[in-house]
Amino acid sequence: MDLLSKKVLTINLNKKSYEVANFNDLHKYVGGVGLGLKLLHVHEEKDPLILSIGPLNGFFPFASKTSIVLNDEGVVEDLYMGGSLSTRMTFTGLDAIVFLGGLETPTVVSITNSSVEFNLELEQIHSLGLPGKRSTIEAAGEKVMLDKEFTSEGYILENKMKNKNMAGLVITGTEAYTPAHFSKYQEAYKTVLARSNDLTLGASNKPSCSGCPLGCEKSRYGEIGGNVLVHSLVACQFAEKVYADINTTFSCLNTLGYNYTHEDLENLPKLIEETLKAIG
Amino acid sequence: MNALKILKVRSQQSCNGCELCVFEAQRQLQKVGLEGSLVRIFKNKSEENKRLEFYVELDPHIHSLDVEKICNICPKQVFEISEEEADGFTI
Repeated sequence: MDLLSKKVLTINLNKKSYEVANFNDLHKYVGGVGLGLKLLHVHEEKDPLILSIGPLNGFFPFASKTSIVLNDEGVVEDLYMGGSLSTRMTFTGLDAIVFLGGLETPTVVSITNSSVEFNLELEQIHSLGLPGKRSTIEAAGEKVMLDKEFTSEGYILENKMKNKNMAGLVITGTEAYTPAHFSKYQEAYKTVLARSNDLTLGASNKPSCSGCPLGCEKSRYGEIGGNVLVHSLVACQFAEKVYADINTTFSCLNTLGYNYTHEDLENLPKLIEETLKAIG
Repeated sequence: MNALKILKVRSQQSCNGCELCVFEAQRQLQKVGLEGSLVRIFKNKSEENKRLEFYVELDPHIHSLDVEKICNICPKQVFEISEEEADGFTI
């Protein structure tokens, strides 16, 4: 876990090639939608599809969403999927995955930590990756389905994956971390978890996103748009009361060893606005 | 002989897949991640089953951890703890 840069896996679908690199200059975008929009800007000529997570995913409760940024026929969209995807991405060690161009034929892309495989046997999708440590996205049907349960708003992601001939995506993460200030991290974790009542939705009997005890009525459907600080972290919008609080967020980041300042977080919405304006 | 606290899965079908138990067990080992976890959650949704189902698997070494914390963090009361006499050979 590099606390001063962002680790990005860039996959060229046309060439079936990939590279992993750390970028210090992306650190200020924090993660999630901020990081996703900057990467969209960098690669905008190559029709990028970007999955990104924030620094709190996998570490703190309610930070349970993965940001998906793409250009949908001239409109920049930010979608958020729940389920287990964001924790699996955290444990790959990657902050973002960028898919450029498209595949020649329908193919399943399987990512394990920083390595990528391209699999043409679509029916084998559930044998790829490691059970218990993977998230599986199927895109062959009408709706994109994550672990056969969770999906995203509308048909934006569906259209993009179909255009790219991505029939599926399997992400497996096997890395483990020890936070920099472990006892303070434990305290911060307990404090955040105790704020379940601050969520704007209650518990239900639906499957939960990883790291969220509620299993709310909305977990299945994901989100579109919303608070950019919360979605840079990447927390659920229903936990906005918890993570839009700069002091809570700053404290959580600090226990993990990040050197972000209050000003960095306060200036993030402006930085994102400027990035969005720069996208052609 | 001391009483040994045994963590058991009481209500598998209640599991909502939040994985708080997995992360609690890992934090007790001073790590965050899924690798080497003494609690694992598997999921399955067959064509016949409309609902995503979760299966909890406990490693025998789980009793080296504070099992009460693992039991108590579950929002769905999936676990229970029973007390058994320790025979001196139990892990």
